[in-house]
Amino acid sequence: MLAAGTNIVAGTSPNKAGQVINGVPVYATIADIQKDHTVDTTVIFVPAPFAKDAMLEAIAAKIPLIICITEGVPVHDMLVVKKQADAAGIVLIGPNCPGVLVPGINKLGIIPANMGTPGTIGIVSRSGTLTYEAAAGLTARSIGQKYIIGIGGDRIQGTDFVDCLELFENDPDITSIVLIGEIGGTSELKAADYIASHVSKPVFAYIAGHTAPKGVSLGHAGAILGSDDESAGIKTLALAKAGAYTYDSITQLIESVK
Amino acid sequence: MKLLEYEAKNILRIGDISVPTSTLIKSTGDMVDLPTVLKSQVPVGGRGKLGGVVVVEDTAALNKAVDSLFNLDIKGYKPNTILAEEKLDIAAEHYVSLLVDRSSASIRLVAHKNGGIEVEDNSTEDFLNLPIDNTNVDDRADKLAAYLGYDVLLIKPLLVKLYSTFIKNDVLLLEINPLVYTKNGDLVCGDCKMELDDAAAFRHPDWNFEEKPSDANFVVLNKKGTIATIANGAGLAMATVDAVAARGMTPANFLDIGGGANTESVLKAFRKIVEFENIQAIVINIFAGITRCDEVARAIIAAKEQIDTLPPLFIRLAGTNFEEAVTLLEAQNIATLPTLEKCLSAAKEASRE
Repeated sequence: MLAAGTNIVAGTSPNKAGQVINGVPVYATIADIQKDHTVDTTVIFVPAPFAKDAMLEAIAAKIPLIICITEGVPVHDMLVVKKQADAAGIVLIGPNCPGVLVPGINKLGIIPANMGTPGTIGIVSRSGTLTYEAAAGLTARSIGQKYIIGIGGDRIQGTDFVDCLELFENDPDITSIVLIGEIGGTSELKAADYIASHVSKPVFAYIAGHTAPKGVSLGHAGAILGSDDESAGIKTLALAKAGAYTYDSITQLIESVK
Repeated sequence: MKLLEYEAKNILRIGDISVPTSTLIKSTGDMVDLPTVLKSQVPVGGRGKLGGVVVVEDTAALNKAVDSLFNLDIKGYKPNTILAEEKLDIAAEHYVSLLVDRSSASIRLVAHKNGGIEVEDNSTEDFLNLPIDNTNVDDRADKLAAYLGYDVLLIKPLLVKLYSTFIKNDVLLLEINPLVYTKNGDLVCGDCKMELDDAAAFRHPDWNFEEKPSDANFVVLNKKGTIATIANGAGLAMATVDAVAARGMTPANFLDIGGGANTESVLKAFRKIVEFENIQAIVINIFAGITRCDEVARAIIAAKEQIDTLPPLFIRLAGTNFEEAVTLLEAQNIATLPTLEKCLSAAKEASRE
């Protein structure tokens, strides 16, 4: 992250407070850091059992942008964290995500900086490595990106497609939007509704999992809540109806983005 | 993790929630009180319609019924355990569930007056469907009681305990169907489907359940498929399979080898792949961020040495240390291709599809 230009003012670790690592001072708590520095973003890598506490500490410290890379955060923990983040008006991205890459400016997470190149595309994706595939493919075509945002693949997440679509639509630097989704959940359907009513810029979309077998759902709750069909086909149709350009494979999408 | 019925009912029982009295049968010859309802404990639904639930009235019929159930294949599964329960004197059956709804990032209480196997036939609008959290359980109990037509004194303790169990056990879905109202005036959980959050296992050292079919990382798509795929990351793995299909080839499987692609996991993957009857090519698509390509290359080389006839490999590596990886593989006469597209074209040539 340092190599990619990120201004890391400090780190926290209960065991390493007082040390300096790669030129970055380590403190015990965020409150301690804030005595010496202004913090506007935090990237959290702590293991899953401690991630909830780390996110809650960041929320209590009023850090406006929190990115949690950690995989395996319990769902119930995320219910608590998300409720508090939303109440505090804090933007949370993740968990279980590769973070955000702003090519040429900043890296907040683990997206390799050489996958991106500065430009005018906004990419938002639920996937990890598939995001790299898309970004690298566009970079190879000299189609650069302003933002590459990995929102993560978990059941309960801080930021969804709609939040990023809104950001991209309202940013005058961004000319086109790339949306990469997956089977499961309904966030892409909400995205389709938002695109239809709020997005004027071209959206290029691919939903991974066209060849996935239909999951056997447990019990009747899924059918009762009407969320049983969360397939790639249904989502692709909804996005197409909303005016997005849709593709059946990532290679087709990469070739077609303008 | 999706629990078997008896595992779910154990959790309910610990939560002081009323379930039918029961015995677990592990083998034919185990004694149970009669009359009893024998229920096959398989990790799939719809067992009732396939003979998985049998009422036994007399001793003579018991052993034969138990034996038949142990040998009854339900959607590909045979039970390790049979649950033998008291026969309930049913006056009414309802549907009540608690679940984490990802769409609203909340826990929801869902209920219907008419429970049982045909609950999905009810119209969606008739269901009670409310968000529930630790600040409004009392209110939800009032509403649930009014909706089902019972005294709140009967409903409230049940809902409080169900909610508490849901939270304590990191439950994602707790479905009681049917919630039985007996002729004695008791509410008993006739059946329970429960799904626990695997990510929370670290804080439940007491979790000890029968091994469940694992569907996450290797999925068979077509036993006669011609192209096997391996990728790192679920999204990339699905995308790789989609790309194979989009080129008119027949993908055999989905495999997400995850971030720690090593010799053991690659070997395991190759072993599973050679079990298919018709594989003409293996497409390996690794996009390494934290993963290192050279480690993957070493793993592929080591694994390949241990398998006699492996179908042709079409490997695309990108990301961290990929040049080193290409050098390692070429020294072993294993070719790599720079893009997924080129891998697919080469695989198509090899498979003549």
